[in-house]
Amino acid sequence: MPGWNLTGTASSGHTDGDALSVSQAVEMAAGALDALPQLTVLGEVTGFRGPNARSGHCYFQIKDDSCAVDCIIWRGSYAKRTFDLRDGMQVNLTGNFNLYKATGRMSFVARSFSLAGEGLLRQQVAALAEKLRREGLMDDARKRRIPVFCTRVAVVTSLSGAVIDDVKRTLRRRNPLVELICVGSKVQGEGAPAELIEGLARAAAIEPAPDCILLVRGGGSFEDLMTFNDEGLARAVAACPVPVVTGIGHEPDTSICDMVSDRRCSTPTAAAESVAPAMSDLIDVLDARERRLGVSMSALVRGVAGDVDGQRSRLERAMAARLERLVLALDAAARRPCLASPTGMLERREADLMQTADRLASAITRSQERFAVGLAGAAPRLVATTSELTAHRHALDLAASRLAHEGRAVTAARAADLAAAAASLDALSPLKVLARGYSITYGPAGVVTHAGDVAPGDEVRIGLVDGDVFAQVGSVERHVGADAPTR
Amino acid sequence: MADSHKKVEELTYKEASTELELIIRNLESGDMELEDSLASYTRGVELLRSLRARLADAEQKVSVLLADVDGTDTLVPAEAADTSDTLSF
Repeated sequence: MPGWNLTGTASSGHTDGDALSVSQAVEMAAGALDALPQLTVLGEVTGFRGPNARSGHCYFQIKDDSCAVDCIIWRGSYAKRTFDLRDGMQVNLTGNFNLYKATGRMSFVARSFSLAGEGLLRQQVAALAEKLRREGLMDDARKRRIPVFCTRVAVVTSLSGAVIDDVKRTLRRRNPLVELICVGSKVQGEGAPAELIEGLARAAAIEPAPDCILLVRGGGSFEDLMTFNDEGLARAVAACPVPVVTGIGHEPDTSICDMVSDRRCSTPTAAAESVAPAMSDLIDVLDARERRLGVSMSALVRGVAGDVDGQRSRLERAMAARLERLVLALDAAARRPCLASPTGMLERREADLMQTADRLASAITRSQERFAVGLAGAAPRLVATTSELTAHRHALDLAASRLAHEGRAVTAARAADLAAAAASLDALSPLKVLARGYSITYGPAGVVTHAGDVAPGDEVRIGLVDGDVFAQVGSVERHVGADAPTR
Repeated sequence: MADSHKKVEELTYKEASTELELIIRNLESGDMELEDSLASYTRGVELLRSLRARLADAEQKVSVLLADVDGTDTLVPAEAADTSDTLSF
């Protein structure tokens, strides 16, 4: 190794007397480092374990392909950070070198740091993602349902790459019923987002509209895939009237387009597979449907047949029951006496009649006997009653003659009296007096016996023996000496 | 079943498939008249046969959306995918 003299004898410019102490040497080095102006160093963070638990300072290393250096960020500086450091980050660190004299270790003390390169891009992407998330563009509720079986699918991607062939081949193998419409566009580099936005619009405008749009791109570097982190494109995906399925890059890559699309698949092939069921699945579905069709139809027929059987047996049972009832009714009817022994009834009636006839006959006989006995008793009694009549007749005859005798005696005496009375009466009759010329005068107050009984002018009737004379009193003269009778 | 008057050939795969599923569900529900269910079954078998035939005869259809000079888009038929799995370098 040139430049080294292990014997320490020759070529060295310094003798022991010229030697510096460690402190002097370190002091010199420190001075030299301090003389350096403030630097901005680009490096990758490594060995970062976060702020020291006790002090809050951060101790780690930054490196590039060939060199590494210790790095310190004091607690106060780290507190002003806009993001947490992580291993692997590309970071611009601004600060100065510093030598820790106690150990002679040189460190870069960073006062500030920022992301650099891809790290910066990633941070910007993350910020954009957060912004769109806050706007609600990534809400699950926004995501539209992709039909299980898309029969018409537009693919927006580069027509020159292998990706379009992958998609075509995948769908041809999986489900050739899916109609593919390829819409070409740049997928990376300058102007790619604008072309993709236009491609989406053109795909959505196809008549009839496709069931979904596949926005796909093969794998690439982070920068290659940055196209799909474009804000304009992301907004176009979210606003696309047709549901969008993304398949961008490889498995771990996630772009903002993936986040805002209606379905995110890890690769273009996966995206193509997700839009339609495999033919074998379709065949399985048809097999299952054929079975279900057969099963349900035969079940229906069985059910109807069962119903018919049931109805038949019900009919039979009902008929049998009815017949049985009729048989019972017939039997009952047949057992009734009028049908069982028709002559019996006649015989019973005959017997009844005979009994009645007997009763009639005996009743008449008894009645006659009773009358005969009564008659026999009555005849002597009748005879006995007439035997007393003769005596009564004699008595009656006697009484009649006595009545006649007595009657004659009574009337004779009375006739004699009457004759005498009649003679007397005849002798005394005024008529005889009148006959001799006398008359009777009747005034207003009856028979006029006194002159005072009438007054001049009075009407009087004068009864004669053979008639009446009506006259008016001319005057009244009283005999002298006669008492004036009161009227 | 609004489509039941349409001829099976005129239905798209999806329409035919949907109608078939509907027919099967109706049959499975079991509350159809026997005559109706027989008619449905016949239609179902017809649909099934047609769907199977379509699966068997399916050919990929690919077209490319190309912008004309005047800016209008037209669909131009394109080749289906190459199914040979040989690698070409």
